[in-house]
Amino acid sequence: MRRFNLAFVLQLILLISCKTNTANANPDKLILEFDSNNLQAGRKIWINNCKGCHAYGTAGAPVPMDRDDWKTRVLKDRSALYNHAINGFFGPDDTMMPERGGNPDLSDTQVKLAVDYMLELANFYIKKQNK
Amino acid sequence: MKLSKLIYSAGAALTFSTLSTTVLAAGDTVPVKAMADALHLVMDSDRSIYTRKIVNRLVKKEKVIKASEHFEDDKALVLPAQMFRFGAELVQKRAKKLPDVNFSYSLQSLWPINKQNAPKTKAEKDGLKFVADNKGQNYYTEETLGGQKYFTAVYADTGVAPVCVSCHNKHKDTPKDDFKIGDVMGGVVIRIPVGM
Repeated sequence: MRRFNLAFVLQLILLISCKTNTANANPDKLILEFDSNNLQAGRKIWINNCKGCHAYGTAGAPVPMDRDDWKTRVLKDRSALYNHAINGFFGPDDTMMPERGGNPDLSDTQVKLAVDYMLELANFYIKKQNK
Repeated sequence: MKLSKLIYSAGAALTFSTLSTTVLAAGDTVPVKAMADALHLVMDSDRSIYTRKIVNRLVKKEKVIKASEHFEDDKALVLPAQMFRFGAELVQKRAKKLPDVNFSYSLQSLWPINKQNAPKTKAEKDGLKFVADNKGQNYYTEETLGGQKYFTAVYADTGVAPVCVSCHNKHKDTPKDDFKIGDVMGGVVIRIPVGM
């Protein structure tokens, strides 16, 4: 590839002058705190065990800050969501939610608290984006 | 359109824009950052589909076959990371016969089980550290290797299944044994020559 012209000279100048840069937003400020003690406990569990995938949509994990990901899920029976989170779940596109988020040390109660927090967060952003 | 034309055309586009701009100045030009992002999107989507439709479905859901690092001995499926690596090796081999196609990609880690997959250049090291420390963000830079200038992009590679994490944590050669699901375990490095 020997072609060389003014455009590339200018490109080189631009590349050299461009600093290293990154893209995408940090979602941490979107992970809201709520008043209830249970939701605060759930938030901590969620950050330590669920955030790694659910905050970024990794491997198809639904993002609670994204209305489209959760608008139908929040309508489901909460027991179904608990069951999926505790026992694992294969989604319609063969996505895979691991049992207890991959942390076997989490109790059922802890998983449910994390689910409750994620639902609260999802409902917050659904309402916000509906406005 | 050939890849080289796209990359070559990036020069024209960049004279009218910045690295982060995707609005093209003329018909069929693509900025080099957009080219890297597009390549990664294809790689990541193919790997996701292999993971979901082959590994998750056949291994986890229907339980008809195993996936194994030692897939030949075990008569098993290759692991998603192995499939990705084999693809990268095949691209490198096939690209040698296509002089207009000039890019490379690899799966690397700051904590590699196979030391060949450790970063070698400063840009790779900086990029892998950045994507591990700044979840959800990509890393873009330029570097000069052997007198050739490259645009180098690094994208996080995240452990998404218990088997990924447990295998790395328990492997006899692992330098890190406390990965959790959702942790950045490495990164995809895409390198595109510029200014040729």
